[in-house]
Amino acid sequence: MNISPTEAEEALAAIQATMKKTRRAISASGAYGFLIVWGVVWLLGFLCSHFLPDEIAGYIWMGLDILGGVLSAIIGIRMGRQVRSPLAAASGKRIGWFWLLLIIYSAAAIGVAWPVDGKQVAMFIILFVMVGWLAMDLLLSFDSILPGLVIAALALIGYFLLLDIFYLWMAILGGGGMIAMGIYIRYRW
Amino acid sequence: MAELNETIHQPVRLRVMAALVTLKPDEEVDFTYLRGLLEVTDGNLGAHLRKLEEAGYIAVNKTFVERKPRTYVSATVEGRKVFSEHVAALESILKNNPAKVS
Repeated sequence: MNISPTEAEEALAAIQATMKKTRRAISASGAYGFLIVWGVVWLLGFLCSHFLPDEIAGYIWMGLDILGGVLSAIIGIRMGRQVRSPLAAASGKRIGWFWLLLIIYSAAAIGVAWPVDGKQVAMFIILFVMVGWLAMDLLLSFDSILPGLVIAALALIGYFLLLDIFYLWMAILGGGGMIAMGIYIRYRW
Repeated sequence: MAELNETIHQPVRLRVMAALVTLKPDEEVDFTYLRGLLEVTDGNLGAHLRKLEEAGYIAVNKTFVERKPRTYVSATVEGRKVFSEHVAALESILKNNPAKVS
C-alpha cells in the first residue's frame, strides 16, 4: 500500500491538531476551573467588602474562601484522575503543602504588620496569592504568568491610586478578569 | 529511511497515538477523558485500543479508583519509537515519493 503526498499531509495535519488539542486540554482543564472559582470568590467577596460592614464582609470572606478551597481541591482531584503519573501525584502533594505554608506566612505577615485595616489585609493576601500564582507558573509551566502579573499590577494601582474604590476595583477587574480569562480558556483557547 | 506503520496509520489509531505521545513518559490518561478528547464512541475507541495494545504500542491499565473501575492508557517505549518513525516516514513522503507501508 502506497499513500500519496496529499494523504501524508492530511495525516501529519491530524497528528499536529491532536497533539495541540491534547496539550491545551491538559493544561487548560484545571486552569479555567481554578480561575472561574477564585474569580467568583473575589467578585463576591470584594463586592461584600465594598457594600457591607467590615465584620459581616469578613464572615462572608471566610465562607467564600472555604468554598473556594474545597472546590479547588475537587478540581485538583479530578485533574489527577484524567491524566495521572507517580510524579504528578507527588508534586500535587507538594503544591498542597506550598499553598498551606503560603497561607500561614500570609497570616504571619499580617500579624507582624498589625494593626492593619481591611484594605491592607486584602492587599497582603492578594500579593501572597500572586506570589503563589507566579511560583506555580514558573515551576510547573502553567503558561499564565502575564495574567498573574497584570492582576498584581491592577491590585497595586487600585491600592495606591484608587483607594476609595479599591474593593470595587478588585471585584470587577480582579474577580471579573479571572472569570473572563477562565471562560476564554474554556471556550476559545 | 523510516517506514510507514500500517497499524498506526488508521485515522483513529493515529490520533490515539498522537494524543498519548504528547503525554510525559510516566503519564497515563483516563479512557473516558481520551474518548472525549478524540470525540469517538466507547466501542470505537475500545476496538482501536485493543489493536494498539496487541501490537505492543500502548499499555492499558485497568484499576479501581474509589471502588469504581477505571481504565488508564499510555504509550509504551516501543509505541513512541514506531510513532516517531511513522511521522518521519510521512514527512519524507512530502519531500520525496510515496513510501511502502510495512
